[in-house]
Amino acid sequence: MAVKYEFKEHIIERQYQAEQEMLAELEQGGYTLQNPLVKLNLYFINPLSAVIAFKTEEEVAITVTVLGKIRPQGNIYHTFAPAKTHVLPIVGLYSNYANQVEIQAYRGEKAVITIETPDVFDGKDPIISMDTTPEYLQDNLIFVTPATDDLAVAYDYRGDARWHLNVPCSFDMKRLRNGNVVIGTDRLLKLPYYMSGLYEMSLCGKIYKEFRLPGGYHHDSFEMPDGNLLILTEDLTSETVEDMCVLVDRETGEILKTWDYKDFMPVGYGRSGSWSEEDWFHNNAVWYDPNTNSLTFSGRHVNSMVNIDFDTGKLNWVITDPQVFDDPEKEHYGWPREFVEKYCFKPIGSNFGWQYEQHANLITPDGDVMCFDNHHYGARDPEQYLPAKDNYSRGVRYHINTKDMTIEQVWEYGKDRGAAFFSPYICNVEFYNEGHYMVHSGGIAYTAEGEPSEMLGPMIRHLGGSIYSITTEIDNNKLMLELKVHGNYYRGEKLKPYSDGINLELGKGRILGEMGVTKEFETNIPMDPSGEMIPEKCEASLTEEMDRFTLHATFMKGQMVLLLLEQGEESHPYFMSTSKGDFKAMCMGTFLDASTLDENALKRPINYSVNKAGLSGTYDIRVIIDDTKYETGLQITC
Amino acid sequence: MIQEVNATEFKEKYGSGLVLSDFFSATCGPCKMLGFVLKDIEKLFPELSILKVNFEANPDLCKEFGVAGYPTIILFKDGEEKKRLTGLQQKTALVKLIEEFKS
Repeated sequence: MAVKYEFKEHIIERQYQAEQEMLAELEQGGYTLQNPLVKLNLYFINPLSAVIAFKTEEEVAITVTVLGKIRPQGNIYHTFAPAKTHVLPIVGLYSNYANQVEIQAYRGEKAVITIETPDVFDGKDPIISMDTTPEYLQDNLIFVTPATDDLAVAYDYRGDARWHLNVPCSFDMKRLRNGNVVIGTDRLLKLPYYMSGLYEMSLCGKIYKEFRLPGGYHHDSFEMPDGNLLILTEDLTSETVEDMCVLVDRETGEILKTWDYKDFMPVGYGRSGSWSEEDWFHNNAVWYDPNTNSLTFSGRHVNSMVNIDFDTGKLNWVITDPQVFDDPEKEHYGWPREFVEKYCFKPIGSNFGWQYEQHANLITPDGDVMCFDNHHYGARDPEQYLPAKDNYSRGVRYHINTKDMTIEQVWEYGKDRGAAFFSPYICNVEFYNEGHYMVHSGGIAYTAEGEPSEMLGPMIRHLGGSIYSITTEIDNNKLMLELKVHGNYYRGEKLKPYSDGINLELGKGRILGEMGVTKEFETNIPMDPSGEMIPEKCEASLTEEMDRFTLHATFMKGQMVLLLLEQGEESHPYFMSTSKGDFKAMCMGTFLDASTLDENALKRPINYSVNKAGLSGTYDIRVIIDDTKYETGLQITC
Repeated sequence: MIQEVNATEFKEKYGSGLVLSDFFSATCGPCKMLGFVLKDIEKLFPELSILKVNFEANPDLCKEFGVAGYPTIILFKDGEEKKRLTGLQQKTALVKLIEEFKS
């Protein structure tokens, strides 16, 4: 039986085609304000959005209002610039609802149309509760991006979902100064969560750019004052991960500058409880401080927030528990003494605690440093590690003095909530103003027996436990908002559904940058083709995209599987593991099939992607399973 | 030279010279692949002693050496553990490791 083949157009191409068809329809019909063309989810990825289009005889500004279930508190509205042809994004629709949308011309006519939406959650809206007031949240939404197999969603003051992505885009979603947002793509390069890059898009789902990176994207990005993007990446051909950052030209996607943390950190020291040789730093955040022209990186697996000079890459300081171990057995859990003396801070003040396995560091306008202190393990010395039931997480703010190298804790929130607010992974804080912060504890987990757990969300859910995410906002130490949802969510963000900048630009998006060369396995297995087709029980299929292809197949636990691209004597082998994934850091488990986590599962469904970069010509695709080389009957041209 | 050994044979052999041990399982895809990598290593370092230990068949030995999963590679020099790698390794990584401790 032939292996199924599908060519998948890039989402930017599909969006452009749909947009062109909509514009053609607009030109053909007599669409007016009273009778607009309505396209629900025109851009395919936000089912709680629509585009309406119509023409007016005079140039006029149009205000659209998605009428709330409670009015006017639940209304979401925006006024668009004067025009005669109006192509307007509608953002903030309710799920499973006959939405009333008011269209109002400036000092002119008005219409109310109905846009019906399906239940985008299939009856499983993750909301548990939203405690806030409409006066506090106003028309902002709280966005949460997933860390498990849930999808991104945003809630209003009542806890009604008003925004949703139906594709697994994740990691941080940040608003750019032009009104767009950036978020990780849904194109997985490599498990557990290394993505092809970032999408720059409008909240209605229109994607303007994909910034592809040879080393992929993970965790975080940051818009520089000139608009270029800092993006966390890695070298997928090296032996380590999550230890590089690049500066990317916003217009061309070109990599302008690269930082490799092995150049300024003592690799192997300062180990946290989740440390591994491969993921020795685990960079989960980047922040640029224009006041000092410096970058700050959060390294979960070294319990550190690391600051370097932007231009020289030289290490300035490190916020970390500065313990030094004389015991050779524990030496690498601490730091070299000279490193501590040169770069680390001395605590002052009576109420101080170091952060452990922190996330999402940021620099406040006055130079303080904030982060979400997961406090996972809660110590450097393994003998003093805290179990989840005795642990806590918190938002924390430190005041640092880089002249006398002292550090003072000036604020915290969450410690008093104990294990109920403990997240061993992911999470973030946001600074809005003095005393006004978001603290998002998105990785809370309980065992099936109801005990607080430090297992990461995807695993504990697989084992029958329960997982939660709590997003809070605090103003002058008063809790102003608390959102609780089922599932683990990587970060929370508060954004308005419409921006003062771009809300929808027509035209074709651009695919920038380049994919890297997929790492081959260095050892090939000399074996003649058997001539047999890959067994039917493997249920193999192949998806080709413009810049890569992905083999989907199910193998059995313990099988040795090698994907081969062969062209005459030329052979490119890629090893496909049929073992359980052993992931100590799982900031996004979106792509992990249950069997990936189950040691005892006999069937191993695998999706394995190979980039076309570095390959040239037409290749036969074959698969070695143990001692037989099978045909797929497919070729790929690169 | 690659040899599959039991616990007794392992203890006789690991204490002398440079020894690369591979704790493997016959029911593990990466272990099978590592077997091919080690054949390449054997060609490059014919003098190197490569001891393969079946994880399931030698539980006490695995416990004694703190081997919790497979594949696990431990490089010994005169009986002293010099380096431990877990999971499937590429040829380059093993060559680098052996070169580091060869002399």
